[in-house]
Amino acid sequence: MIDQAATRTYTWVKIIHPRSIAIAGIVVSALGFWFVLPPLTQRTILWPVALGFLGVAAGIWAVTRGERRLGWIAVGLGIASMGLGILATNSSVGHLDSVVVWSALFASMLRYATPLTYAAIGGMFSERSGVVNIALEGMMLSGAFFAILAAEKLDSWVLGVLAGAAAGAGLALIHAFFCIQLRSDQIVIGTAINFLALGLTGYLFVDVYGELGTPADIPRIPDVTLPAISDWYFIGPVLGQLNLMIWLSFVLLIVSYLVMFRTPIGLRIRSVGEHPRAADTVGISVYRTRYASVVTSGILAALGGAYLSIGFVGSFNENMTAGRGFIALAALIFGAWRPFGAFAAALLFGFSSALAQRLPEYSGSAATLFQALPYVLTLIAVAGVIGRSIPPAAIGRPYAKQ
Amino acid sequence: MSVTPETPVLELRGMTKRFPGVLANDHVDFDLKRGEVHALLGENGAGKSTLMNVLYGLYHPDEGEILVNGEPVRIHSPREAIDRGIGMVHQHFMLIPVMTVAENIVLAAEPTHAGVFLDLDEAVDKVEELSRAFNFRIDPHAKVRDITVGQQQRVEILKALFRGADILILDEPTAVLTPQEADELFGILKTLQREGMSIIFISHKLREVLEIADRITVLRRGKKIETVPREGATEAGLARLMVGRDVLLRVDKSPPHPGEVLLDVDALSVLDDRELEAVKGISLKVHEGEIVGIAGVDGNGQTELIDALTGLRPAQSGRVTVGGRDVTNESAREHLDEGLGHIPQDRLRHGLVLEFSLAENLALHDYRKEPNSRWGWLRPGRIISWARGLLQEFDVRGGGPQTHASSLSGGNQQKVVIAREVSRDPRVLIAAQPTRGLDVGAIEFVHRRLVEERDEGRAVLLISLEIDEVLSLSDRILVMYEGEIVAEFTPDVSEQELGIAMTGGGREEAEATATA
Amino acid sequence: MSERQTTPDPPPGEVPSPAARFALFQRAGGIAAPILTAILAFFIGGIVVAVTGHNPITTYREIFNGTGLSWFFEVGSHQVGLPWSDASIWFPWNVNDAESEAAFNLQQTLLSATPLIFTGLAVAFAFRCGLFNIGGQGQYIVGAMVAVWVGSSWAGLASGLHIFLAIALAALAGALWAGIAGFLKAAVGAHEVITTIMLNWIAYWIGNYAFGQGGPLQNKVNESVPVSSDVVQNAKLPILWGDPLLQGLHMGFLLALAALVAYWAILNRTTLGYEVRAVGFSPEAARYSGISVARNYFLAMAIAGLFAGIGGACDILGWQFRLGVIDVQNSQIGFIGIAVALLGRNTAIGVGLSALLFGALLNGTSTRNLDPEVFQPELAGNLTLMIQALVLLFVGADILILWLFSRFRRLRRLPPAAPTTPEAAT
Repeated sequence: MIDQAATRTYTWVKIIHPRSIAIAGIVVSALGFWFVLPPLTQRTILWPVALGFLGVAAGIWAVTRGERRLGWIAVGLGIASMGLGILATNSSVGHLDSVVVWSALFASMLRYATPLTYAAIGGMFSERSGVVNIALEGMMLSGAFFAILAAEKLDSWVLGVLAGAAAGAGLALIHAFFCIQLRSDQIVIGTAINFLALGLTGYLFVDVYGELGTPADIPRIPDVTLPAISDWYFIGPVLGQLNLMIWLSFVLLIVSYLVMFRTPIGLRIRSVGEHPRAADTVGISVYRTRYASVVTSGILAALGGAYLSIGFVGSFNENMTAGRGFIALAALIFGAWRPFGAFAAALLFGFSSALAQRLPEYSGSAATLFQALPYVLTLIAVAGVIGRSIPPAAIGRPYAKQ
Repeated sequence: MSVTPETPVLELRGMTKRFPGVLANDHVDFDLKRGEVHALLGENGAGKSTLMNVLYGLYHPDEGEILVNGEPVRIHSPREAIDRGIGMVHQHFMLIPVMTVAENIVLAAEPTHAGVFLDLDEAVDKVEELSRAFNFRIDPHAKVRDITVGQQQRVEILKALFRGADILILDEPTAVLTPQEADELFGILKTLQREGMSIIFISHKLREVLEIADRITVLRRGKKIETVPREGATEAGLARLMVGRDVLLRVDKSPPHPGEVLLDVDALSVLDDRELEAVKGISLKVHEGEIVGIAGVDGNGQTELIDALTGLRPAQSGRVTVGGRDVTNESAREHLDEGLGHIPQDRLRHGLVLEFSLAENLALHDYRKEPNSRWGWLRPGRIISWARGLLQEFDVRGGGPQTHASSLSGGNQQKVVIAREVSRDPRVLIAAQPTRGLDVGAIEFVHRRLVEERDEGRAVLLISLEIDEVLSLSDRILVMYEGEIVAEFTPDVSEQELGIAMTGGGREEAEATATA
Repeated sequence: MSERQTTPDPPPGEVPSPAARFALFQRAGGIAAPILTAILAFFIGGIVVAVTGHNPITTYREIFNGTGLSWFFEVGSHQVGLPWSDASIWFPWNVNDAESEAAFNLQQTLLSATPLIFTGLAVAFAFRCGLFNIGGQGQYIVGAMVAVWVGSSWAGLASGLHIFLAIALAALAGALWAGIAGFLKAAVGAHEVITTIMLNWIAYWIGNYAFGQGGPLQNKVNESVPVSSDVVQNAKLPILWGDPLLQGLHMGFLLALAALVAYWAILNRTTLGYEVRAVGFSPEAARYSGISVARNYFLAMAIAGLFAGIGGACDILGWQFRLGVIDVQNSQIGFIGIAVALLGRNTAIGVGLSALLFGALLNGTSTRNLDPEVFQPELAGNLTLMIQALVLLFVGADILILWLFSRFRRLRRLPPAAPTTPEAAT
């Protein structure tokens, strides 16, 4: 019985094209929007937001898998649905108010998304070279802690960021050594690294800062204020004052795209992840490439954590990252292991976090449930990934030179 | 030492390579003249690929010397081989399916803008230039997984040319090609030869070798037998060198008494993993009390045929009947329960669960049935005592019922597999490569056993790549080539004739006489 | 193998399945390897302690004192009451926890070990089928949620029935939760690591939602507190040892021991377990023999989830009696189960002993037991996490070392055999 169900599901999932997903996204978005208009005129914000959100998600999924036109339409419609839905249910509120709400939401989205962006791009480097990295969480956490520790002790946010990066690199080296050199199971080692980071940062945090926690006046990564556009309609509040790391993340996006898809280095990394033996036979060092990729992923994930502690929040708590590393991994998968796709997914998940902060104003406990949405989406996404045609073909398999 | 036009561009002296338990190359001498096509001929397991892998830096030789243009060199890695102008096209392509042709060709030797960015345009230009020069017709922008196997092979060749190879090694290149593609390949090789390339062509196909090669070196069981020029070489002569006059383990057997048909295959067609027809409408019958042997070179559809007969792969069309019952497209378990026994060709991955004990392995098909279990509850005592009996009967050495299967030698492992299959009293027994990797004593045992099973009244279908084995055991011999049964012989057929049929030769004459 | 192929063949025999690796390791290393792994992990933990200016010896001794394991060394002459009678017989150890502090500590240690046995089995069973079940945490929470819901409803039910219902439904919930991942793996080959991690977080947020302000399972008595209703008296598990008011050792412990036996029995004495093991060691050989790999993937995950779900129920019905948002957020039991299973090499006895070790560690480092003067409990909690991490790291590494070792041994022992790699044979 399970066999039959399994076979049927397999055949059914095989039929699902990105095109169908995009069309579904358009339909769902339209539905959400339609709910709000007469004659249905729902007053709760939940429907247009949730449906619009799903529409955007479906759109991103479709775009990253090749169905550009319909996918972007789905994204657009989804955003429109959410926006108009909120507007419609708040039609008594002034126009200006809504703009404020929305621009604040977008700015908030960027802030939540940035740690995810760093970690997801880090994950891309590691996974594209064939090494599974589920330790992004631990690397991010250690980056967060060591950044704030160094910033506080050495009174410099620059040194803090460097220290965070170094911590990430260190953990990544351990991960790389066990996985590449000793050919241990990458999932087990990744889980170990996460525990190690959690325990080490928690231990040192309590030892150094004790009950009182981190002090209030720690050197923070500065914001970048752009007076020229601060007064612009809508864009102003969103982009006018963003943290330096957020701007750097945009740069990172572009750089990582160029490196991975437009340079020889990226070509070689990808070849090692797809067919290490073929890469070996043309003289590429599989071991060295993988080491470099994993360490890169550690540094980037740690930078995301550093932003979290000394850029965004300004303090540190035990287990501060609270699963963001896994959301970043989810964003990476959702974005088909490509930087812009992962970024779009990170924005999506960041938006859901930003929204979840706001939703309690409208609908109490539903906001909590909303937090589960990124994970549900990723679950569906992973279920739709068939065979090895989408992740790098040789991922997760240790390589042995003969 | 000065390089004269007579100096071989490549020379191997006394190459020796050992693997655990096997001497793959035994002091082999080989030389390659400039601008020649030199074929390396031999059966499966003769040591051809090993020799070339050593040359290409993938293996390290235990003894021997390599000289390039008269100069002794050490080659430790493919990179070094490439630097010395040696390029290799492997049997299993070293191409990355999701990347384009151009990307694959320039990998690790990429042209760049300002040293930083990939200059794919230049890569594409260079690829097009090379393709034009050798008349290849390859689309540099196509992804490797979207082009045909023949085209992929050309990409591999271009890869070598791009890196400036002047010695090209091709390992069984026509194994994956259709006849038309093979002809195109030969055209390309001739062009390359004209441009000054020296080519080593590894093959086991007599007809092709005679068509393309200037000289032919024959290897057998790791040793070099002889190097002959093409003039004067005949298929028959080459076959004799390849197969040799070694002692054939002819099993003493009484004449067969075939009874009713137990395995009936009717117009069976099966698709392979790439959804191409691997088995094209085959029909065959195996009677009670006879051994039918299917001879053929690996890759002609035997695997897919076995998969369909045992229920591991669906049949596209046709019918399979076992003992009168139609079992087409039933599950593997149902096939086993309907009286089919299967000795798989890969005993380590498919025949045994290595981490299980011998007793557990022996129960692999029947653990759900009485007396091994009742209502889902296993009875280890029964399983073990029954196993003990079987192990004794089949003289399995190296452990008892509780020993892990991985500790046994290959021969004893195969005995366990055979014991399991045979003790279930199947009506039809399919034996695929039953003596692969076994020593002489084990081979003898397996052969004797198969004949015993035949005498017990079972229908035995033997599929083997070893000509000796097929000749020695079969009561009837079928030859499989490119998914079809192309010939049927009696056991007194000559090896030469059989070898020719296996490699697709002789058909042209038959076709010619048919149309005449 | 057909030579007409376009996709690269993985080098044959390159990486054995996870189950095979662990099994080989088990056989080759015996009991010495896990003990060595644990010792090494503790040793490095001690280095961390020393480097940060504390005394590792006194720290570890203090932790040990809190575990109650010293109880086994305090042999004397005492009496223990026989169940269901007033008689008492001689017993070498003092079971009166009012007198013996070690006895009380041991109770708590066993209390901590109980859920770890369950979550450890959840990971171990899946591993035996070649699957990584990282979802023990989510499966445990789901089980706990169902248990607290059933346990706090239907106040009039008879005790035995109520307990049975709560545990059974919790088990079912856990099985279903894991079954989602198992089904996805069976149907479309979705990697169970990703799906179980996602399911963990979904369960986490469902828990936050359910017991949070205005959530469906929040208690009706005090609406400002994000906690569930209390489990009714009838649904609480009977106490075996100790004072019910002081959180004694409950019947769940016996259930845990029974689970260990059941685990062993299912794997080694049933046809289902036979199939699970076959698929775990060699999915291809299993397939050739007619065993359904997909079905076993699903069943293995479902049974794994079942164990974790029961673990959640036992904790709720045994000593927690309610579940709050804070509990959902802070719970780590499922994750510790991973280290428990791996250290215990996925065997019943191993998981049992390993759970005892980690339970002892959890208890010994708790705020109740550890004297802050010697070593802060918060530090000790994090030390425990680091020790777990080190255990996982070394388990990951020594597999390879032993694999190499066994290969070396096998090469020297056997008569010349043919090479097992087709590449070498051509």
